Amino acid sequence: MNNLIAFFKRFRVFLLFALLQVFSLTLYINYLTFPRNQYLTTASSFTGKILEIENDLTKHFNLSKNNQALQEENIRLRRKLKQSLYQVEGKYLKVDDTLFKQQYTYLPATVINSSVSKRNNYFTLNVGRKQGVYKGLGVFSDKGVVGIIHNSGEHYSVVKTVLTKDINIDVSIDPKGLFGLLKWNGADPKRGSIYGISNDLSIKKRSKVITKGGSGIFPRGLLIGSVEKIKPIAGEPQWEVIVKFAENFSTLQRVYVVKNLLMKEQKKIENQVPNNEE
Amino acid sequence: MNTLFKNIARFILLALFQVLVFNQLELGYGIHIMIYPLFIMLLPFEMGIISLLSLAFLMGFLVDIFSNTYGLHASSLLMMTYFRPRIFKMFSPIDGYDPIKEPTFFDMGIRWFLSTFAYLLLIHHFWYFLIEIFRFNEIFSILIKTSLSFMFSIGLSIVIQQLLYKKVKRQ
Repeated sequence: MNNLIAFFKRFRVFLLFALLQVFSLTLYINYLTFPRNQYLTTASSFTGKILEIENDLTKHFNLSKNNQALQEENIRLRRKLKQSLYQVEGKYLKVDDTLFKQQYTYLPATVINSSVSKRNNYFTLNVGRKQGVYKGLGVFSDKGVVGIIHNSGEHYSVVKTVLTKDINIDVSIDPKGLFGLLKWNGADPKRGSIYGISNDLSIKKRSKVITKGGSGIFPRGLLIGSVEKIKPIAGEPQWEVIVKFAENFSTLQRVYVVKNLLMKEQKKIENQVPNNEE
Repeated sequence: MNTLFKNIARFILLALFQVLVFNQLELGYGIHIMIYPLFIMLLPFEMGIISLLSLAFLMGFLVDIFSNTYGLHASSLLMMTYFRPRIFKMFSPIDGYDPIKEPTFFDMGIRWFLSTFAYLLLIHHFWYFLIEIFRFNEIFSILIKTSLSFMFSIGLSIVIQQLLYKKVKRQ
């Protein structure tokens, strides 16, 4: 017993160091793999509040640029209004339409904390469970896809952006409709790569990359970026397609959270497919 | 009492600066400016390693909460703090450290400060990027990020120390 106490006395510094070190590393690795705990992230209301105050002070730096982007989007939407359409024949234009059912709804949000230079970049939004935001909803801006909600607190939520290692958004390259998975290599916040496209297909440079909408998180056809380069992968019959993101994530402020109202139905039906057990 | 007050002020100011200013700066090239290690560096000479480690954990964790890294900053700061007494011993003057003096570069001279703090900050930055990237085939990018961020961090640490020191002196 005395020996044990003497041992602890002698190595108490190293033991404390090792204990704290193991504790913090475990938290870090756990957070990367299972993001269940949200109390000690920027989704909690205390840190969220402080970051919101900070954002209130600094949001004006990119104001004119953001305003212009919003104005451009307004114009684009205004073109689709009833008033700006020419009525070809009276009886075909109906306001109360039962042919279409609302599938996606959108919620505006502001990015109050962001980073683009880390290996995994998370943004904090000023909307939370109170506004009906929960894990798994999509987030996009007027120029392109931003990411997926990672966890949400009462008033704030954290977005896992396309600038994280395992984001895996299903995308399609526009004119031909080639499907692939969008990933990020962790270095350049302006470019991502698409994997899973067989290398016997030809891809044109500068063709648009849009969301495929297969998983039901994003509607089909949201812009992500454009193809910049096509690289062969050594030893695999695949292309690595380098995409230049349409959105500049370092100045991003206004985003939309998209909610699929028919998600439950899609998941329910998809779960009925028998698992491939071998 | 005065030292205690000074260090509490430093703790709050450095944490706020880190979270609200330097976490928001995106300089590109993977540069991530970290100035909060300065707090541990400036604690008094005679402070025990146990309290140093506890303070390092507290500081690191505070920064973690605000930057969604969840233990990464705490881990790197602990690593650095663990080596602080060893590095200080390495650069100790012949007759030991004067307990009246503080480990600032005003009290100990720019040469002493630069050499000790450079070692400590290098340990901190290297550990941070090593754990963040955690791939040995990207060792080159770890080294680049470490060295670039290190240069910015140490430069800003000196500037900030000058500001803080003058402020405290005036009070």
